[in-house]
Amino acid sequence: MAVLPFRRVFVFFFILCFSLFYASVALGSGIDDEEFSEELLLRPLPDRKVLSHFQFRSRAPPNSSNGRHHHLFPKAISQLVQKFRLKEMELSFTQGRWNYDLWGGFDPISSNNAKPPGVELWAVFDVPQHHVDSSWKNLTHALSGLFCASINFLESSTTYSAPDWGFRPASGRLRYGTLPREAVCTENLTPWLKLLPCRDKAGVAALMDRPSIYKGFYHSQRLHLTSTEFDSDDVDSGIVLEQTLTVVLQTNGKKAVLTSQETKLQPSWSLTTMFGRKINGRCVLAKSSNVYLQLDRGLVAVLNNLQKENEISAPGNLAYEASRSNHGFELSVKPDRVLEEAESQGKNPSVLYEFAVGKYSNSESFDLGLTWKLPVVWSCQQAPLSASRFLMGSGNERGAIAISWKSSQLSQQLLHPDVIEENCKLQVNVFQVVPWYIKVYYHTLQVFVDERLEAVSDIVEKIRVSPSEDKVSPGVMEMILKFPCGMKSAAITLEFDKGFLHIDEYPPDANQGFDIPSALISYPNFHASIQFVEDKSLDKSPILAKFQEKSSVRSYTEVLLVPLTTPDFSMPYNVITITCTVFALYFGSLLNVLRRRVGEEERLLKSKAAKKTGQLPQLLLKLSAKLRGRSLETPQSSSTSSSFVSSKLILKVILVAGLAVAWQFYFAS
Amino acid sequence: MHCKMCTLFDSMAVLMLFLVLGSSNFGNCMASSSLLSSSESTMHTNNWAVLVCTSRFWFNYRHMANTLSLYRTVKRLGIPDERIILMLADDMACNARNKYPAQVFNNENHKLNLYGDNVEVDYRGYEVTVENFLRVLTGRHETAVPRSKRLLSDEGSHILLYMTGHGGDEFLKFQDSEELQSHDLADAVKQMKEKHRFKELLIMVDTCQASTLFSQLQSPGVLAIGSSMKGENSYSHHLDSDVGVSVVDRFTFYTLAFFERLNMYDNASLSSLFNSYDPSMLMSTAHYRTDLYQRRLDEVPVTNFFGSVMETIHTDSAYRALPRRSSAGVEVKMPSEQSAHNNEREMLIDSNIANQSSGFKTEDQKGVLTRLWDTFGDRIEKIEDVDSFVSYGLFMMPPILLLFSWLSW
Repeated sequence: MAVLPFRRVFVFFFILCFSLFYASVALGSGIDDEEFSEELLLRPLPDRKVLSHFQFRSRAPPNSSNGRHHHLFPKAISQLVQKFRLKEMELSFTQGRWNYDLWGGFDPISSNNAKPPGVELWAVFDVPQHHVDSSWKNLTHALSGLFCASINFLESSTTYSAPDWGFRPASGRLRYGTLPREAVCTENLTPWLKLLPCRDKAGVAALMDRPSIYKGFYHSQRLHLTSTEFDSDDVDSGIVLEQTLTVVLQTNGKKAVLTSQETKLQPSWSLTTMFGRKINGRCVLAKSSNVYLQLDRGLVAVLNNLQKENEISAPGNLAYEASRSNHGFELSVKPDRVLEEAESQGKNPSVLYEFAVGKYSNSESFDLGLTWKLPVVWSCQQAPLSASRFLMGSGNERGAIAISWKSSQLSQQLLHPDVIEENCKLQVNVFQVVPWYIKVYYHTLQVFVDERLEAVSDIVEKIRVSPSEDKVSPGVMEMILKFPCGMKSAAITLEFDKGFLHIDEYPPDANQGFDIPSALISYPNFHASIQFVEDKSLDKSPILAKFQEKSSVRSYTEVLLVPLTTPDFSMPYNVITITCTVFALYFGSLLNVLRRRVGEEERLLKSKAAKKTGQLPQLLLKLSAKLRGRSLETPQSSSTSSSFVSSKLILKVILVAGLAVAWQFYFAS
Repeated sequence: MHCKMCTLFDSMAVLMLFLVLGSSNFGNCMASSSLLSSSESTMHTNNWAVLVCTSRFWFNYRHMANTLSLYRTVKRLGIPDERIILMLADDMACNARNKYPAQVFNNENHKLNLYGDNVEVDYRGYEVTVENFLRVLTGRHETAVPRSKRLLSDEGSHILLYMTGHGGDEFLKFQDSEELQSHDLADAVKQMKEKHRFKELLIMVDTCQASTLFSQLQSPGVLAIGSSMKGENSYSHHLDSDVGVSVVDRFTFYTLAFFERLNMYDNASLSSLFNSYDPSMLMSTAHYRTDLYQRRLDEVPVTNFFGSVMETIHTDSAYRALPRRSSAGVEVKMPSEQSAHNNEREMLIDSNIANQSSGFKTEDQKGVLTRLWDTFGDRIEKIEDVDSFVSYGLFMMPPILLLFSWLSW
């Protein structure tokens, strides 16, 4: 009897201990799961500039393990995800335009990180269909508060759209909006940096000196988050936040007079000349903290050729031989690792030098420099077609939008074996949003291939159009085009009428014109990915993982500036002034004519004149009167004059009466 | 459209209020009036700043520099970023015309980058409109508007409202396209007063004919200062030939000159600030309006508005929250302003005493329990060796557990 209770207690204790242990294990693993990594990629560009691409990645484990609290992950972001049930979201702030011709259009950075100017926001929600719009509205407000920008202008239904398949495959819960004219400055970067665990105090982010970043030719600050929290079937990986900053900088800080030899040489650069700062060690909270230097395929090809010319005797290729210094350039720091592209179209693979920042500190800071020894000229790999968009027509009434494509060298190379096939097609997707005051007539779509007009049905594989509605929604066009492979150029045109805005809808600087947001051109059959030689540690580095991701090549076109009929805002004022003047003149003169009694005024004047002239004689009169001892007679003069007037009046009346009597008498008889 | 809805809703609310008041007894009304008077006597507990630059276009660079200079000053003197609403009508720092990207200077010597690394702009560009400005002041936002864009002040707040731009007789231009009139401002301030959104408000305006902008104000507790009188212009201070435009206005320049000498702990008074303006240097007459303000200017430190320095209250007992009512009692010790208020004060104090006495009564009722607890506490304190106590406790636990499990068997 007594044994049984004892056993029960023992079991109870055991269970208690076990559950405690289990909980502690779960908690510990939860903290470990949250991770952060920071990376910087540098790449020399052919036009004497340098691309710097910062990438920060934070990951939060699924919500259940550690409640509302986070170790490294920014709480503001996880709250956003929770509140608006975001599945995926991307927000980018960009200033300047990515130069697809010079800086490349066929690599992961250009297709993922080249963004349209201003603000671009898209988000996929995990809410019922009818709640998506309200979630979007609240999200724009929340983001505008978080990033000090007027993203809340995307709240209005005229500024955002719901693309179906043209932007990316989505189940109707995607919303997309852009603000092409949004300014991007320090106040947007600061909150973005505050999401990082080390902010800009340590690690790679310490390089971000605001004036040098904003002095650049192009800067794009991006925030991309994916959450699998609301997926039941998928592997639950929690929230992944990826923050990137892509900057194209001029390398020479000081403008020295260059000799002819030096002008041919690419400018040498280091982190200090570009940013004015060095890296003093890693952010201690980061799991990995690396700097990469990438030489793209074109540059590697040129360097290899140079090597063959110079040192035929010395074999070995660029990557594996003395990695710090070769005949083409010299690095100030010895790389820790050299990675080579696994498989490339040409035989010249892209090369990646890896530098671990962890071993540097305040006493010995990391300042990567690149000194060119020989002049090199190369070009970056371009997208299969280079697209541009422009306006046609003149005047304030109508016009046309045209998108034109020119085939680049690459497409000829890439497609060369396919040309033999008759039915080789090059697929191009177009996604374009047009504000409502640009009333596009979609039936006027014309397609030109090699400057010949083609039937729309021959080229356009699929099209979805949602026409704009005045002051309600913008016009959206999604198209799949299939061009023949061998073509040199192609163009599509669409005509439009310009609408009229209500006077309240004009911005304060309406005379500057109105923007049509960038169109997105993507090539789904081409994948911008770089596979580096397989290594066990590769999966650790997010930037390399990003490089290996198969994403289609995309490019954004220019923003178009449309001048609309803008009222002269001072015109109503002018009209009011002129009308009032006219009215004043009219009524004034009318009143003058009606009310003024000229005769009386003249008489008054006369009497005044008489008084004035009569002063001396009056005095004389007074004098004489005093001398005579009689009263003055002047008062009587007026009475006499009045009696004179009245006698005249009586005479007149008598005359009129006489006339009347005569008239009466004459006609009566 | 939305605004109309708002007003409709408000008028409905007012109607409802009247109905409720009509049905309630006289005592209820008395209570509400005493509530009003208590709001006047609340302590100064926090500071807010609303800094507005209303001008668009590059040639108005100086207005943004003015606003940012003030922003930097109030931040330096202790108002945190989340309590500053900064409105900038255009982007000058990253403007294509700016030779120094991400930098704004208010002086030719370029010693100080006003934009810094840590600026937070709450309203910018097209968002800076009269509507948004009035919404910020009156707190009538849409529900989605984030906290960082709201003026979340209360009846203990001191608010600094700084405005700069192009103005004229009784108006201030926003974005070169719309105007804020002195009546609008006065109305907004009146609404703020009604909603207990401030204790004291300092309005500082740097425009032409600035003093006309606050001529319509009626609400008590408002102090206003303008850079120029009616019919006068406010001029810029100097031109920076590198930036290519004038970089600061005279009034703001001399205001900053005054503040650069101060730190958070200085006790300079508002009157010393107001007296520091020299009309010959400003080329206009700085005008201030004090008829709505009760306190004497030479007793009010500038940090009451431009900083965030709170009065400290000493209490005898630690960890006892001081109720609001008794804080009003503390304030009575300070030199009082008007005899009219004294009566209300006394009534308040009376009610305080009544509250406290009722508190004592409840304590008496609870007496038995508390006494038991106190004795228990004393016992625990008497035990010197805590470890032994804990181990005793552990030893005691198994028998107790056994007992309970046996009982439940």
